[in-house]
Amino acid sequence: MTFGFGLGLRTQHYNDFLAAPQPVEWLEVISDNYMVDGGKPLAMLDQIRANYPMVMHGVSMSIGAINGLDKDYLRNLKALEQRIEPLWVSDHLCWTGVHGRNMHDLLPLPYTLEAVQVVKRNVEQAQEVLQRLLVLENVSSYVEYKTSEMTEWEFLTEVCQATGCELLLDINNIFVSAFNHGFSPASFIGGVPIDSVKQFHLAGHQNNGDHLIDTHDHLVCNDVWDLYRQALMRFGYVPTMIERDDNIPPLVELLSELDMARDIANDVLNSKIAV
Amino acid sequence: MNLKDLQTNFQHVLLDAECIDAGWVREYTRGLSSQDRLGIYHNAYRMRLIDVLLDTYEHTAIYLGDDWFHQLAAAYVQSHHSTYNNIGLYGRKFPRFLAEQLADDKEVSELALMDWKLRRAFDGANSAVMTHDDLQHLAAVESGGIRLQPVSTLSISTQRFNALDIWHAINQDQQPPVVERLPQTIDILIWRKGHSPHYRSLAKIESAAIALVCSGDTLEVIGAALEQDFPDVDVATEFGVMLHRWLDDEIISIAPQNVDVDARLSVQ
Repeated sequence: MTFGFGLGLRTQHYNDFLAAPQPVEWLEVISDNYMVDGGKPLAMLDQIRANYPMVMHGVSMSIGAINGLDKDYLRNLKALEQRIEPLWVSDHLCWTGVHGRNMHDLLPLPYTLEAVQVVKRNVEQAQEVLQRLLVLENVSSYVEYKTSEMTEWEFLTEVCQATGCELLLDINNIFVSAFNHGFSPASFIGGVPIDSVKQFHLAGHQNNGDHLIDTHDHLVCNDVWDLYRQALMRFGYVPTMIERDDNIPPLVELLSELDMARDIANDVLNSKIAV
Repeated sequence: MNLKDLQTNFQHVLLDAECIDAGWVREYTRGLSSQDRLGIYHNAYRMRLIDVLLDTYEHTAIYLGDDWFHQLAAAYVQSHHSTYNNIGLYGRKFPRFLAEQLADDKEVSELALMDWKLRRAFDGANSAVMTHDDLQHLAAVESGGIRLQPVSTLSISTQRFNALDIWHAINQDQQPPVVERLPQTIDILIWRKGHSPHYRSLAKIESAAIALVCSGDTLEVIGAALEQDFPDVDVATEFGVMLHRWLDDEIISIAPQNVDVDARLSVQ
């Protein structure tokens, strides 16, 4: 089954999606933005959902937190999941806070077997509530831990094997982390289990010379497009979207960028078939 | 170091005012030092929460100006850790914080409270709004006294300064008036109509009437209480006018005990 190409739904584009059909096969919504009691956010969500399949993407599950998952959060996430019946539900392979505090950031995990077991425990809890497989995204990072026992892609592989969860590969995050930590992005792409990848994210970042920041406020750069080609060569067709969270342009500009992803995918996959 | 100690330690680094280095971060031979790398997270934590305060308290920020607001927001972030999954709720205690920090400028906290309540009304729980026909139907069938129920987004706050006029001027991109203490306090009603948060000032009698509605009294009891408290007012006429306006403003919801909700939803 194929789902095509999508965009992240942003408030700036509500009217575009309500006014006329737009050339996207699905929309990704930030789950946390709609875990509210009522009002315009949920009204817009319901109206747009009537015309577009959706996937849910969260930022606050804190799947790697040692304290375990917040039951209220899971309950609210489940309610949203029942409301919009998404194609799949994703969050990030990270932690966002412990001991009742929330750092509101996607903090990296150490790549250890202990962390795999914590993630396994938490994923099983989430999947029990959601009654579906969870999809986890690799985060961009700026630190690595001395205690890490494996590479990030080996850690992803261990998590997939331990939990059965699927992966949202953020191509930009791979590029950003590879630059910041000095590993090969091709090794990352080559090290992830092929059958586990459910979705790709494409996004822009900020280049600060000696480090990259994952800002999602720029166009996708050429290096990330090249990495996308490598990912397509390895994983074949995977539902792909452009993720823009800041400096959000008119919808037509994002659609143009999404067309670029379509063209690249067609080129790569057609040449792969020819070979 | 196990995962619990690492996460606890990392969180301490982020919450401390100064970003210090940590022995558990890998050192790099090129690029940023480990401390500078931690500094990215340390700075992002603060910027993200200050941005949320700027977004929630937009009118307050304009009134104070960028520098002063940023200084107060940074102090709030340092002294108030987030315990919310919904980052939008982070600034809940900011009006009280401003009242403490700016004890001689109490209009600022009143302005901030308006910002906060209007934002909360925006995505507050939906209510089934009572119409004029609903009330007529209720009056025809209800024998034990009619009780009204406010919509769930309704709130009232009391102002001692002209914060309402300041907020309104800022909202209209106009120069705000000079702050002044009011000769007597006014109550401000805030609620959501349709998708939009609304606000207006309340006369004393209307504020008293809404408080009685919120406490669950019947219309008969409310009328009697108003006649006692406002002996110089033609309460019967005034109450009728208020009821009419409440229905037009959509501040009354259909109480579950007064309506067949399923039947109502099925005809909408």
